[in-house]
Amino acid sequence: MRSEILYPGAFPMVRVELASGEHIKAESGAMVGSSPTVDVESKMEGGFLGALSRKLLTGEKFFFQTLRASRGDGEVLLAPTVPGEIVILELDGVNEYMVQKDGFLAGADSIVIESKMQSLSRGLLGGEGFFILKIGGKGTLVLNSFGAIHKIELKPDQEYIVDNSHLVAWSATTSYNIEKAASGWVASFTSGEGLVCRFRGPGVVYIQSRNPGSFGAWIRQFIPVSE
Amino acid sequence: MTQFSPNALCFGEEFPASGAPCVVQIERHGLTITFESGSGDRAQEMVPFAVFAVTAGGLDHDHLVLKWGEAQRARTLYLKNPDLIRAFREAAPDHLSQPFEQAAERVRQVRHRHRVMWGAVGGSIVAVALGLWFGSDLLVEMAVSRIPVEWEQKLGEAAYRDFLSHQEVMKEGPAVNAVEEMTQRLADQIPNSPYKFQVTVVKSDVVNAFALPGGYVVVFTGLMKKADSGEEVAGVLGHELNHVLQRHGLERIVKSMGVMAVVAIIVGDQQGLIGLMRQVGVELLTLKFDRAQETEADLTGLQLVYRAKIDPSGMITFFQKLSEKDEGRLEWLSTHPVSSARAERLKAELAALPKHSSEPFTFEWKTVQDALGVQPVAAP
Repeated sequence: MRSEILYPGAFPMVRVELASGEHIKAESGAMVGSSPTVDVESKMEGGFLGALSRKLLTGEKFFFQTLRASRGDGEVLLAPTVPGEIVILELDGVNEYMVQKDGFLAGADSIVIESKMQSLSRGLLGGEGFFILKIGGKGTLVLNSFGAIHKIELKPDQEYIVDNSHLVAWSATTSYNIEKAASGWVASFTSGEGLVCRFRGPGVVYIQSRNPGSFGAWIRQFIPVSE
Repeated sequence: MTQFSPNALCFGEEFPASGAPCVVQIERHGLTITFESGSGDRAQEMVPFAVFAVTAGGLDHDHLVLKWGEAQRARTLYLKNPDLIRAFREAAPDHLSQPFEQAAERVRQVRHRHRVMWGAVGGSIVAVALGLWFGSDLLVEMAVSRIPVEWEQKLGEAAYRDFLSHQEVMKEGPAVNAVEEMTQRLADQIPNSPYKFQVTVVKSDVVNAFALPGGYVVVFTGLMKKADSGEEVAGVLGHELNHVLQRHGLERIVKSMGVMAVVAIIVGDQQGLIGLMRQVGVELLTLKFDRAQETEADLTGLQLVYRAKIDPSGMITFFQKLSEKDEGRLEWLSTHPVSSARAERLKAELAALPKHSSEPFTFEWKTVQDALGVQPVAAP
């Protein structure tokens, strides 16, 4: 399996080449096009209960789709729903990533996806909800973001502060605490930042350059209100 | 050459930020760490136990973190595999076991704290649900206590006018005077009352009396005919006035409007509340009090009658009379479920009060009844 990003920028697409018999899993609805040799199967990753808990808990789609090159080599085109960049990671079997619920686009069949409950303060204040995806295993992982994706590399004990709704994914070797953006509560919220996450290395943090919640709030003012 | 299957991540100056995958093997005197370069060459490094600093790390504190070296040669190793961690614990010399146990203790503490936090959240959700279920009376009382008396009066007045417009009101006469005297004697015993009681006698054979929020009381002539003395009617009045004083009507309204109304009152959303109250205002007349409210009105009513030096036994005999089977239209019964237990409770309550002499009313009850057209019952 080989993947490349087409049209990098705001409206990218991923082309994945599959050898005969190879398959990948993708977010349901992510397929744009494929060779006639590729079959689409719907699969409840982790069984019915796993899928159900993922749907209920993370709000992630109930089914992942499996794209299988069952009748010879083929290719698939995949795209996310929102405008924004795509990043391809190669998981080595040791590195694990925490991915916020909208961040997963596709992955090799050998990667392992599970829903994970966050601690109370992180779930309540972190902006990703109580449940996130924990993705490990070995193989290609494709993530998407809202806006551009930015990689922050942290050395051991190096710290970095990220606004809580800009997170896409972070390695399991990092840890983070939620804190106020400014020293006082009032200043924190009047500054427009509210709460931030203080990450501590080592590891990698992927952030998105746009905040989906703020964008939603901004666009809402242009939607006519029906009487 | 065997397959390279890393089981740990090594961090350091020359490694990528996401860590260099490596294979860690536990030996007798330390760890052997094997790295593989992009071209497939392998490099091995032997690190003795003596140099390690041990902590727990990672997002969930579930990694064993080993640090050694300084400055440019500083290394941090993240182990996650439970078997590997166990093997390290067994092989590690004594000077490492103390920090290792400390790290393990810290992990246990973090996990325990998470469990406690989630337990507390679950517990408080259950507590709030139970509280709403069982403590709704308390919430209602809180809400009612925030409604200004003026609102209550407006609400009651509207319902009162509406009711009287369909009724034949007795404007004057011995019956009206008698009821006014009773009300005056009772009201005198309520210091600082925010309510100005207004009692109206309505011509009707219905044996009933009711109180609307704000102090509007209606007595039917049917009830007065049924009573054998002024004290009996005064007992009913004492009961009804206490429904007003305890704001029972408002409590019922607030309850029937639901939790949203309670919330609206507590947070002070008066506009929304007035709208809600208009909806239910019409239903005021059909309002039924609950058992606890009736009991409260009974007891406080008895105390009021007692303070007003009106013979309280009248109240009790009237209740007993009402509980007996009767051919009359005892509507007071339908809204005030009378049981002999109720009269018994009042008797017990009365017995607990110190005896004192009662003062009679200035009117003759017989005159009142004659004016109402009651036929004297022939003695058997």
